Amino acid sequence: MPKRKAIKRERPKEHFSYDPQKVLRKLEEYGKRVLENIAQGKNPYFDIPMRGLSNVYFDEKKRVIRMGDKLSRRYFLNVAHARKFMQTLLIMAYVKRLVSESKHASLREAYYANKHTIPGTKENTFEDQRESDPIIEDLERMLGVLREEMHLTADRRGYIYGDIVIRDGEDEFNTSKLGRGGWAVPGTVEHLQFPKINVDYVLVVETAAMADRLIEEKFAQKENALIVATQGQASRGVRRLIHRLHYEEGLPIIVFTDGDPYGWYIYSTIKQGSINLAYLSDKLATPEAKFVGMTMDDIKRYGLENVTEKLKGIPPNKKGGPTGDYKRIIEEMDYPWFKNKEWQRQFKMALKMGVRIEQQALANKSLEFVAKEYLPEKINRGDLLP
Amino acid sequence: MAEANQLFKEFKIQSVSEFFRRNAAMLGYTGKVRSLTTVVHEAVTNSLDACEEAGIPPYIRVELEELGKEHYKVIVEDNGPGIPEKYITHVFGKMLAGTKAHRNIQSRGQQGIGISGAVMFAQITSGKATRVITSTGEEIIEAWVKIDVDKNEGKIVKKEKHLNPKGWRGTRIELEVKNVRYIRSKQGVYWYLKLTAIANPHAQIELIEPDGKLIVFPRSSDDVPKPPIEMKPHPRGVLTDDIYRMAKKTRRNSVKRFLIGEFSRISEKKVDELVKYIAALRLIQTEKDKSVQEQLYERLMKGEVDAVLRSFRGYTKVVKQVAKLMEKPPEKLTWGEAEEIVEAFKYMKFLAPPTHGLRPIGEENIEKGLTGILKPEFVTAVTRPPKVYSGGIPFQVEVGLAYGGEIPNGFEVLRYANRVPLLFDAGSCVTTLAARSIDWKRYRVDDLERTPLILMINVISVHVPYTGTGKQSIASDEDIYNEIRLAIMDVARRLQTYLSGKHRRLSQVKRKKTFQKYVPEIARALSILVGVPEEEAAKYFISFIESRFADIKESTPSEVSENA
Repeated sequence: MPKRKAIKRERPKEHFSYDPQKVLRKLEEYGKRVLENIAQGKNPYFDIPMRGLSNVYFDEKKRVIRMGDKLSRRYFLNVAHARKFMQTLLIMAYVKRLVSESKHASLREAYYANKHTIPGTKENTFEDQRESDPIIEDLERMLGVLREEMHLTADRRGYIYGDIVIRDGEDEFNTSKLGRGGWAVPGTVEHLQFPKINVDYVLVVETAAMADRLIEEKFAQKENALIVATQGQASRGVRRLIHRLHYEEGLPIIVFTDGDPYGWYIYSTIKQGSINLAYLSDKLATPEAKFVGMTMDDIKRYGLENVTEKLKGIPPNKKGGPTGDYKRIIEEMDYPWFKNKEWQRQFKMALKMGVRIEQQALANKSLEFVAKEYLPEKINRGDLLP
Repeated sequence: MAEANQLFKEFKIQSVSEFFRRNAAMLGYTGKVRSLTTVVHEAVTNSLDACEEAGIPPYIRVELEELGKEHYKVIVEDNGPGIPEKYITHVFGKMLAGTKAHRNIQSRGQQGIGISGAVMFAQITSGKATRVITSTGEEIIEAWVKIDVDKNEGKIVKKEKHLNPKGWRGTRIELEVKNVRYIRSKQGVYWYLKLTAIANPHAQIELIEPDGKLIVFPRSSDDVPKPPIEMKPHPRGVLTDDIYRMAKKTRRNSVKRFLIGEFSRISEKKVDELVKYIAALRLIQTEKDKSVQEQLYERLMKGEVDAVLRSFRGYTKVVKQVAKLMEKPPEKLTWGEAEEIVEAFKYMKFLAPPTHGLRPIGEENIEKGLTGILKPEFVTAVTRPPKVYSGGIPFQVEVGLAYGGEIPNGFEVLRYANRVPLLFDAGSCVTTLAARSIDWKRYRVDDLERTPLILMINVISVHVPYTGTGKQSIASDEDIYNEIRLAIMDVARRLQTYLSGKHRRLSQVKRKKTFQKYVPEIARALSILVGVPEEEAAKYFISFIESRFADIKESTPSEVSENA
C-alpha cells in the first residue's frame, strides 16, 4: 500500500531546450556586427555585462541572485581593451568550430588550442589559463549562453543514483542499474534527456560517504528518490542537472548537508546561485529547493550532543572575533534568502551552541538510522527548512 | 683723508710690472693653462666690443702657434673697425693702475686692465713686443707695442705702414707668451671660445689649434647687440671711494648739485633728507650708552629720523652744519664726509635703480647660440626682467637650456657673467648652487647625471658680485640666487612639456603598434566567424587604424632614450 507522501513530483515548468544552432547564430551575429562597424570606420566593440559583486543583486520575486544591467564596453581601439578584444574574437571562433564539429573541450584544452605567439612579436595570444577562463565567462554573459552550450566543459564532480533513464547521445541507461557507484555527472548536461523518471524527488547529498550509505541501505528504492552526490560544493554540471530535473521534470529538490556554514553555503548555491555565476542563476539556481538537514534542532531531538564538533574560530563576543566559522555564519545570516524566521533561528542556535554537526554523526545511532528513520521521517513529515 | 690721497699717489708711482706680478691672480694670470686663456680672453673681448660698437657682425679668428716648450704665439684677428694710428698706444698700453675703472656700465672686462694686461704679460714672460696690424680701411699700420713700465703707458717700438689695395679693415694682434700651456680642458682656450660663441651668437669665431686643426664656431644670429649704456650709480651701490673719486672729477659746483647730478634716484628732497640722516648719525655717535645707541640706530633704520633728531638737545645746530657741507664745492669733500654720506645712504630709502642700461643676450639669441654650437634636440631660454640686489645694484638673469641631440649624457652648467664665460671655481658659484637646488625629477629628468642636458646661466650686472679675487665665481647673494632659480624652473618646465609631448608621441606610436599586431589574429577569427576573407577583414582594420593615427609621424621617436 502506498505511503502518503509530502513530497511529490510536480508539473514541469521548463522544457528541454538544447539547440546548438542558437550558439552558432549568436556568434555569427556578433562577428558580423564587428565587421560592419570596422567597414564603416567605427571602432568595433563588445558589450559585456559586468562581473563581480557590484553588478549582482538578489531578485526577491524569483528568489535568485541575478546579474545587474551594468555593461562594460570592450573596444578594439583602446590600449587597455585591444588584447582582450582580440582574445574574445579568438575564443568565439574556437567555439564556433567546436560546436559545428560537435566536439567538446575542457577549459584547459581551450586555452592550449588558442595559445600561440603573435607573429612578429614575443607576445602570446594567451599567456595563462587565467586569461582564457575569464574570456569564456565574458562570452557566457555576453551571448547569454552557458559555457556548456559552447561545448566548453566544466569540472566534472558528483554522481547520481536512482530509477531514472537518461539518454546521452546514443546511450540510454537507468542510473539505478549501474552498480553502487551510480552514474558520474559529466561537465555538460545540456544535451541529456530523461525518457523515464520513476522517482518522486531528488535528494542532494553533500558527502559521497553519506550518498554511498544511502545507496547501500536501498534508500533510493525504498523512498523512490534520486540521490545526487555533490561531493562538496556542487559543480556546474550538477547544479544544471538539479535545475533541469526540477524545472523540466517537476522533481522536488531536497538538500541534505552537514550542519555547518559550509554545508549551508552549498545549499545556498544550489538554491539561489552564486555571486560568481550570477548571470547563470536562471539556468543553475533552483530557488524551490528545500533543506532537510543537518539542523541545529536535530542535535537535541536525536540526542546527538556527544557527536557535535566545536565551531572553529573566535566567537563574536570574544576579543578578536568573529573569525572562522563564526564569521561565516554571521555573513550567511545577512544573505537576503536566509532572512527568514527558520534560518535565522538556526544560525542563532549555532552561534549560541558553538557547535557543528556532520551528516555522518547520525551513524552514532546506527548505520541504518539515517536511511530508515531520520530522512524518511523528516521528509514525509515535511519537516524541511525553506 | 690726506693719507688716502697719499696712498693713491704711491700706487701710481709703484712699478707697474711689480703691480702686475703682485696682482697676477686678480688679473687672471695664474697657472699655465689659465694664463693663456686670459690672454685670448682679453683679445677676443676687445674684438667683440670693437665690432659691437661699430655695429659690425664680428668675425674673430684665434690662432695658436707652439714655438717651444710652454712658449706660444697667440694671434687674434677681427674684422672690427680698426684702430686709428694715434690710439694704438692708448688701447694697448694704458694700464689703469691702482684702482679699477669704476664705470657704472655693464662690461665684458672683469679685470679692469684689459688687453694692456695681455701685452704686459707677453712682455714680462717672453720679453717680446706685441705686434699690432690694424687698418680702418685705408693704409695698414703694423706696429710693435710695448709698455713703458716707468711712465705706465704704451710705447711703439717699431712701426711700418703698408698699402691696403684690397681695403682690408680690422685688427690683428700677435702676442708671444711663455710659461703657458694649451690643452683642451674645460679651463682651456677651446672651451673658453666655445662658451663665448654660445653667448655671442652674432659672432663667427674660429680657432686654429697648435696642431693646425681648424675649429669653427659658426655665427647663428645676425643681430649685433647694442653696446650697454652707462648708468648713473645708485646710492645703495656705491662705496666711499666712488664718491670720493667722483667728487674730485665732477664739474658741478656744490656737493648737493654733485649728488643730484651724478647719481640716480637722488632729488633735492632726498638731499634734505640726507642732511637729516647724517646729522642724526653724528648725534647718535655722541651717545654714551651703548644700548640707547643701538635703539636709536634701529629707529633710524625704521625711518624715524625726525624723532631721533628731536631726542637730542640742540640738534638744529648739527643739521645746519651738515647743510653747510652740502653747499661746499665737491672737490673739497673729505674722505670722512664721503664715508658719512655712504653710511647715511644705508639707512635711507630709494627708488630701485634704473635698469635700462643692462644688455641681456636675449632669449632668441641664446637659443640660436645653443643651437648653433651644441646642436641639441630641444632648446629654450628665459631672460628674466631686471632686478636689484643688495638694495641698489641692478642685475638680470638669463638661463638657456639645451637637451639631447649631439649633447653627450651628463648635466653641465655653463656659467657667464656679462656674457663672459666663467671657467673656474664652479663649485662655489651661485649659478651652480641654484642649478643643483632644483628638483629635476619634477621636470621629467629622472637621472640628471645621465641626461644630455646643458644649462647656460648668464648673470648681467654693472657690478657682478664675485667671490674672491679670481672673479670666476659669483657670490651667493640671495636675490641673485632666487632669480636664477626662478629662471631655471621656467626653462625646466618647458623641458618638461617637451619631454611629455615626446613621450606622448612615442606612446602614440607604441599604441598604434599595439593595435596593428592584433590585426592578423582578429582577421583570422572573423573569417572563421563570418566567412569573410581574412585579407579583406585585415584591410578594414588596418585602414581604420591608419585613419585614427593619421597625424602621427613614425620617424620621431627612434632616438628617444628611455630615461628621458
